[in-house]
This record gives sequence, C-alpha cells and structure tokens, in this order.
Amino acid sequence: MSAAPDDSVLELLAQSLLAWRVAGHVERTSDGALVIGGCAKNIRIDRAPPDLMFRWMVTVDGRQRPAISLVAVLRQVRAALDPGYTANRVRIAAAPLVPSQ
Amino acid sequence: MNTDVIPVSVLTGFLGSGKTTMLRHLLGQTEFARTAVIINEFGEIGLDHDLLAASQDSIIELQTGCLCCKVRTDLAETLADLLRRRDEGRCMPFERIVIETSGLADPAPILQTLMTDIAVAGRLVLGGVVTTVDAVNAAATLAREGISQKQVAVADRIVLTKLDLSDDLTDSARPALLRRLETFNAGAPVLIADHGRIDPRLVFDAGLYDPATKSADVTAWLAEESHGHAHGHTNGHAHARHDAEIKAYALLRQEPIRAVALMLFLEALAEHCGDDILRLKGIVNILESPDRPAVIHGVQHVFHPPSFLDRWPSDDRRSRIVLITRRVPQRWVEVLLEAIDAEVADVAVGG
Repeated sequence: MSAAPDDSVLELLAQSLLAWRVAGHVERTSDGALVIGGCAKNIRIDRAPPDLMFRWMVTVDGRQRPAISLVAVLRQVRAALDPGYTANRVRIAAAPLVPSQ
Repeated sequence: MNTDVIPVSVLTGFLGSGKTTMLRHLLGQTEFARTAVIINEFGEIGLDHDLLAASQDSIIELQTGCLCCKVRTDLAETLADLLRRRDEGRCMPFERIVIETSGLADPAPILQTLMTDIAVAGRLVLGGVVTTVDAVNAAATLAREGISQKQVAVADRIVLTKLDLSDDLTDSARPALLRRLETFNAGAPVLIADHGRIDPRLVFDAGLYDPATKSADVTAWLAEESHGHAHGHTNGHAHARHDAEIKAYALLRQEPIRAVALMLFLEALAEHCGDDILRLKGIVNILESPDRPAVIHGVQHVFHPPSFLDRWPSDDRRSRIVLITRRVPQRWVEVLLEAIDAEVADVAVGG
C-alpha cells in the first residue's frame, strides 16, 4: 500500500462531517487507515495500492470502491452518510485554467 | 478585462427600505445621466416606474412577477433587448444599467443570471450590489425575514435610509444596528442616504469593474480594508458573531494555488455547500500564472468563469477569497483548499 493518509486528510474528513451536519468522528487505525465511526455506516479510507491509477480506496460496510481524488472520497463518504445528499456535480466552466497569452 | 463592457448594478433591499427614493435622486445626478433602469415590482400594478423622473425610453418595468422567480428568461431577454435598442440608436447610449429588484426578491438568482447568461455575451458585467436598509424597521425585519438577511449578506454597499425618521435610534441603538448588519456582512461599507440623497460615486462603483477607470478594481471590490489583517490569524478572518447563521470570512494564502486545485476546490464547494454559499469573490495567485492573478466570483452553485487581470493591482500577491456563507464552517473551507492543493501537488510530482 502507499503511505497512509496524512493528518490533513483526517482533519478534512472531520471538518466535512461538521460542515454536512452529520454525526460521526474520524480516527486513525493502527495500520494507518482512517475510519469514520459513530455513524450508521462503517467507513474506512485507505491509500490505494501504487499500481492502481486511483489514489484512494473507500470501503463502506465492507464494499470497497476506488476514488481518484479527495474530492471523489468526499463524494462517496457524503453519499454514504447523508441520505438527503444528491451529488450536484458542477463544472465551473469550459474556461482556460490559465490565461491565454 | 474587456474595456467595452457595461456595468450592471443591482439595487436591492426589503419592502419600503427606500430603493426607489434613492434611485430617483441618483438619476437626477450628472454622473447618472446615462443610466438605463430595469425595475421589478411584485404585483400586478407597478408604481416605481412612475416615480422615477428620468428618460422614459431607458426605464423598463418587469411586471411579470418577482424578478428572482423568472429571472433566467425575463431578465436575460430584457437586458438583451436593451442592448439591441442601444446598438440601433433607439435609446440613449447608456453607460450603466441599474436593476431595482422587488423588495421580496432573492438577489442570488439575479446575480447568477448576470454571471452566466450575460457573461457569455461579453457585453455586461456585474457592477456591484447595493442594499438599502430602513433604519426604523431594520432590526425587526432582519429578525423576521430571511430574504432581508440575504439581501444584506450579498451587498457590496449597504445604504441606511430613513435615519431622519428614527428619532429613537439613539446613540446606543445605532451601533447595535450596525453590529447586527455586520453579523450578516462585515465586508460592505455602510453608507447613509439623507432623504434618498447620497453621493453616486460611493454607491454604484462597487463592483469588480470600475467604470471610471474602465478596469478591474479588485481592492475595493474585495473590501479589503474591512477585512483587515489586524486579528493575527494566518489563514483568514471571521467577521460575524458565532450565533449568526450567516457569516463572512476571508481566506488568505501566501503560497500560489495550482489552477487545477482552484477548480476542484470551487467545484467541491459548490457540490457540498452550494446552497449556502451566498457569495464568493476573490483574487487568486495561480502557480502557473504568477503575474496575472485570477479573479473569481460565484453565487450559490454558479461560478463565473475565472478571468485574469493583466497585472496585480498592488504589491500584495496573496490569494484573498471572501466568502459569505450560511452555516458553512470556515475551517472546513480552509482545510478543503489545503488538502486539494496538496493532493494536486503530490500528483504533479508523481506521488
């Protein structure tokens, strides 16, 4: 496995629970993964194996899914914990990310 | 920044807060001589149109209901028609447009329309939001009416009216009202209109686009002075009482942000808390564009495509993002940006 999620990811998940106003707390396991407890689901977040194109693996009640980014991790966690959540996936715009010269 | 754009200012404020009185005064000023006005009233019979003594061919009244409810079609079509008439010489060559909303209008959809439908045309730019607040009734109105709170929260300028009627607004009550306004919007300067009279330059040149210089005035737009740096925080500043649902705060960041990280950050904000992002605006130091900062702004789920200034407006090259939110924790926004930028950096080096 790749390196464990660092503390900034732990804080992001903890703050996300607060922002979404859903119950739960985030802890680190002895093997370095992050788990979300105190909620209706068993959720575990690991770094994906380095040979995969994904960066994260999110396991919800035993079912493991890859996530390509932290944004995708948040989407999966929110979908699992917040029954009122419907992913509102927006694209900012088909605009240049940097100015054209 | 396009130098040929026409700024569109939004004049909002709760019922009876003095919008039309102030607009009537402003339209009599030389600085406002070339102004087109769009008025929206809630109800079948509009009166504001008759109260404005200005060139009739440049005043359009929308009587189709509350502007915020039908904004995407009616407002966009009205603005397009106004531009067409201007281009064809069928009305005066106005240099700005003011939209006076109904007192019950949610300003967010109006701002969104200005940032999307109209931005595509490239002719108009949001010139700032001005909110009138009736000093006599403000405390009760703000306590009772969520729309009133939202109107104050999104303002670039807040104008207190009817102070002449508020004899009981004593020396102690006035600071209390100002504090109350600050809980919803600490960034907007609070101005005073005397029987509708106010310096036009103070009121409507509040947007990103400065009509006087025909360029972006980021510092004024972000109200940086109000979001001063005297509190000793490193990342940002909260400017509202903790018991208020609506809070304004600013993220400050020394390190440049990768362009992809900024996009992902804005998308995540909109995805998870879009309804509660009343307004976001900022100037961002993009790693890939160190000399040309990005200007961003959005309302709820809608974000204007970032635009790039030709140069930094001052020596301060920190990213500054101002958010006015309802129940969105500042710390979450901060760690979201930090984590996404760190991940994008990690990917960039092959992590």
